[in-house]
Amino acid sequence: MITRLDAPLKVTGEAKYGADHSFTGMVYGYLVLSTIAHGEIEAMDATAAKSAPGVLEVYTPFDSLALRPPSLPVFGETWVPLQDKEVTYYGQPVAFVVAETFEQARDAAALVAVAYRERPALTSLAEGLDTAEVAPPGFDGSPPEIEVLEDGVESIEAALAASPVVVEATYSTATQNHAAMEPHSAVAVWDDGKLTVYSGNQASNMQAAELAIALDLAPDAVHAINPFVGGAFGGKGRTSTPAFLAAAAARALGRPVKAALTREQVFTATAGRAATVQKLALGAEPDGTLIALRHDSWCHTDVARSFVEPTSHGTSREWYATKNLSITQKVVPLNLPPTTFMRAPGEAPGSFALESAIDELAVKLGMDPIELRVRNNSTAPPGHDLQWSSKHLDECFRIGADRFGWAHRPPGTRTDGDWLVGMGVATAVFPALRFPATVGITLRADETAVVATSGADPGTGLLTVLSLVGAESLDIPADRIVPRLGDSTLPPGGMSGGSTATASAGTAIMLAATKAIDELVALAADPGAPFEGAEVTYADGRVFADGRSMTFGELLRAVGRESLEVTGTSAPGEEMTKHSFASWGAQFVEVRVHKWTREARVSRMLGVFDAGRIINDKAARSQLMGGMIWGISAALHEGLEVEANGRFANGDFASYLLPVNADIPEVDVHFVEYPDTLHNAVGARGLGEIGTVGMAAAVANAVHNATGIRVRHIPITIEDLLED
Amino acid sequence: MRPFELTAPTTVDDALATPGTFLAGGTTLVDLMKLNVLTPEHVLDINQVPLQGIDTSDGLRFGALERMSAIAAHPQVYPAISRALLLSASQQIRNMASIGGNLLQRTRCSYFRDVATPCNKREPGSGCSALDGANRMHAILGTSDSCVATHASDVAVALVALDARLLLANAEGTREVALRDFYQLPGDTPALENDLRPGELITDVVVPRRDWAANSTYVKVRDRQSYEFALCSAAVALDVRDGVIADARVAAGGVGTVPWHLPAVEDALRGAPATQASFEAAAAVAADGARPLRDNAFKVSLLKRTIVRALLELTEGSSR
Repeated sequence: MITRLDAPLKVTGEAKYGADHSFTGMVYGYLVLSTIAHGEIEAMDATAAKSAPGVLEVYTPFDSLALRPPSLPVFGETWVPLQDKEVTYYGQPVAFVVAETFEQARDAAALVAVAYRERPALTSLAEGLDTAEVAPPGFDGSPPEIEVLEDGVESIEAALAASPVVVEATYSTATQNHAAMEPHSAVAVWDDGKLTVYSGNQASNMQAAELAIALDLAPDAVHAINPFVGGAFGGKGRTSTPAFLAAAAARALGRPVKAALTREQVFTATAGRAATVQKLALGAEPDGTLIALRHDSWCHTDVARSFVEPTSHGTSREWYATKNLSITQKVVPLNLPPTTFMRAPGEAPGSFALESAIDELAVKLGMDPIELRVRNNSTAPPGHDLQWSSKHLDECFRIGADRFGWAHRPPGTRTDGDWLVGMGVATAVFPALRFPATVGITLRADETAVVATSGADPGTGLLTVLSLVGAESLDIPADRIVPRLGDSTLPPGGMSGGSTATASAGTAIMLAATKAIDELVALAADPGAPFEGAEVTYADGRVFADGRSMTFGELLRAVGRESLEVTGTSAPGEEMTKHSFASWGAQFVEVRVHKWTREARVSRMLGVFDAGRIINDKAARSQLMGGMIWGISAALHEGLEVEANGRFANGDFASYLLPVNADIPEVDVHFVEYPDTLHNAVGARGLGEIGTVGMAAAVANAVHNATGIRVRHIPITIEDLLED
Repeated sequence: MRPFELTAPTTVDDALATPGTFLAGGTTLVDLMKLNVLTPEHVLDINQVPLQGIDTSDGLRFGALERMSAIAAHPQVYPAISRALLLSASQQIRNMASIGGNLLQRTRCSYFRDVATPCNKREPGSGCSALDGANRMHAILGTSDSCVATHASDVAVALVALDARLLLANAEGTREVALRDFYQLPGDTPALENDLRPGELITDVVVPRRDWAANSTYVKVRDRQSYEFALCSAAVALDVRDGVIADARVAAGGVGTVPWHLPAVEDALRGAPATQASFEAAAAVAADGARPLRDNAFKVSLLKRTIVRALLELTEGSSR
């Protein structure tokens, strides 16, 4: 069992996160947020704040720091604060106070008076559905509306009308916050026109690129350092407001600046997951064979339309074999904080709707929901020719049913004392993606090898993966690998996002290792080298020729070199023209609902996953457990309550509920391991996000099994299950 | 948090002689100071004042500074009280929070805690944001047009049920008040939550001896299994003789602006057989007079169900 390399540092408090850095002369920034959802700032009176003890400066849209909105291919344009007087959501950053101490900045921030010219705000997704717009194309360029029809079928409606059994229902999911332990924060230091920023993020090179554009600097004038990240989940992809403002204020003031959001500010001054409404219609044969699937989706977005939560594209587009498919995606711009990537964007809320609807169809057909899913197993996405590279979902269900005791799920309800007991199941799918990645390998004279890329390990275990794949590729023990991450000066790769880092960086490591070994054996045979002119081979960290061998360190020392440095680059390629790729899973949940007071509690859960080769079993299990717990949280606890004025009624950890230990029973995770070398040379597919997919539906389906009550929204709370 | 002056009196007399805000466990005061909801200029840390001790020689007597965790762990403490304590907050908070401070804890109404929103309790006359706002967690009993915030304490519910009294000290002397009478309905003065006079200090919490209080329990219903306030809770005690209820105590939490004593439910239980049918009949009157809000109408049903569940658990020892 391999323990992650950074674990001892983290549990002992030795790990230094972004905001843990401090410098001589450092000052502190504190944000002021708007208290209206829509309008214009007429005036701001910072007089009292500016004369408060220790205050150096108060930046406002009237007296601002110059920042240009950066735009990168992956993210699109990123909003930068304090550049105009428009307020488009409650809790928008409108001023930044810098003082000698944190307390002085915070107290002065309370003295900034803002006068607004308020305008009517639209803050409710339900009320905004009439103003919905067709969504822009997805990140992969896919259109917002997709229809696949069998020859001779006129429309999806005709296919549904011709279906012997039809289920139609509307589902909704709440807006959420990533709620990472580490609040968004940054420490910015300038030296001779160059900026160094310490800030938790998902890719240091992208943070450096965004800051360089925002501050009008040459790309190499920004050094982003990101050694540890206290959770990201998609919420630390874009550069944060504290990072932009700390960097700009530090330049203006000539002092290092530290800025961190308070927990309450994290809920609005960052970005979250959109609320969704989804209408599903399933048409089937009496034996369960799907004839038609229609999935219409709406999500909210901010007025800048910064992100689409693609619920039908993330699920119904690919999950089941159906001859007729229609999916649509619309967005409803609201006066709410921006939305962004959040663990399984699209798939998580989308699977609540689709997998609840599949369960409803199973109930209507009187069919076992696993049997219904297996019956509609797909060999390729509907309307596509490219078959799945490696898919063992039916095996996941078979093993899961056996481990979970699914066969003992009796018809009707079971009880245990005063608790009603039910079981639910759902499919989990997440696309297997890769991003271009470059990894550097440096063989060193001291017999160690550095494996380095700029990306991040926000708890995913990438640092350990670098070490394990590096050791395997260089044929040396893992304790001789020095893995490095989280520095924008390292080769660009290993961004934490899209469940891609292991497959992307892992493949690049293999390529870099091959190159390093090639150069090493060439070096060994060079004129004047120990194996001059010989046919040199490499194994076990040594070069061999003529019946002799040397370690790579000995060779480097012998030729008077301290190191040998190479990079390897990988990117999606030809495989994309041959197969479709995804990870698969079967989620099982047992729920208890109290007969009298109707609390729903999860008593058992199991996920069986097909994610290709598993590099680090322990970290992989932890990832999936965490994802599954996220799903429980979405199903039973988590959701921001939006008030008419755009305020989040529960925007703090006292009232935005996440499960505590007592809510989570033992989590069983099982893998079917089929290395997917058609996808990448390492054979691993992503597993950072799939754990949360399907869980909310499995809970809702278990609640239905226990109580007979079908709840079509999450979170499910007590009042949903009270019958009087 | 604003700068403040901190002093630490060591006797009750010293504490009463100094104007300021008392700090015991700090789990409410410091929290609300961080949010700028409370901005005392002078804080009196009373933790060195000798107000500790658990005396079980005649009923129960707790020094006001006794920690929640210590009372919860004491074997002689009536079950409704210890369970209410154990279902409160977290172990870390229970290790800090005092019993006296617990009874004075402020509401969890999110508008009270957010200085950017109107709140009559925090800023009299500014209006009540919860009346038409997010009010799922709010009260259905004892509310007014000025305030619908619940009282947040669990143990206060158990203590109200079990006829607890408070000993209070002030500059003039001492006095004793029934906990039930101590709490005040919001009316049009929601900032006044209780009968504590300026500068007055709770010194002791007293629970009268009643042998059948050993037959008591506390049930708490909430949105997660731990570390969360009650949507609804019930403290019940029954004196059952030959299958008939001779006497009963019932109070509810999470539904009232104060810990909610339910004498009508007690009356309905007295003389009735200790059966589910009796419990349901008695619980049926629990929400009489309730004024549900937009988001919390379910509490009417939940209150009755919680009382029935608590009574059943007490008599059948059934499910947890």
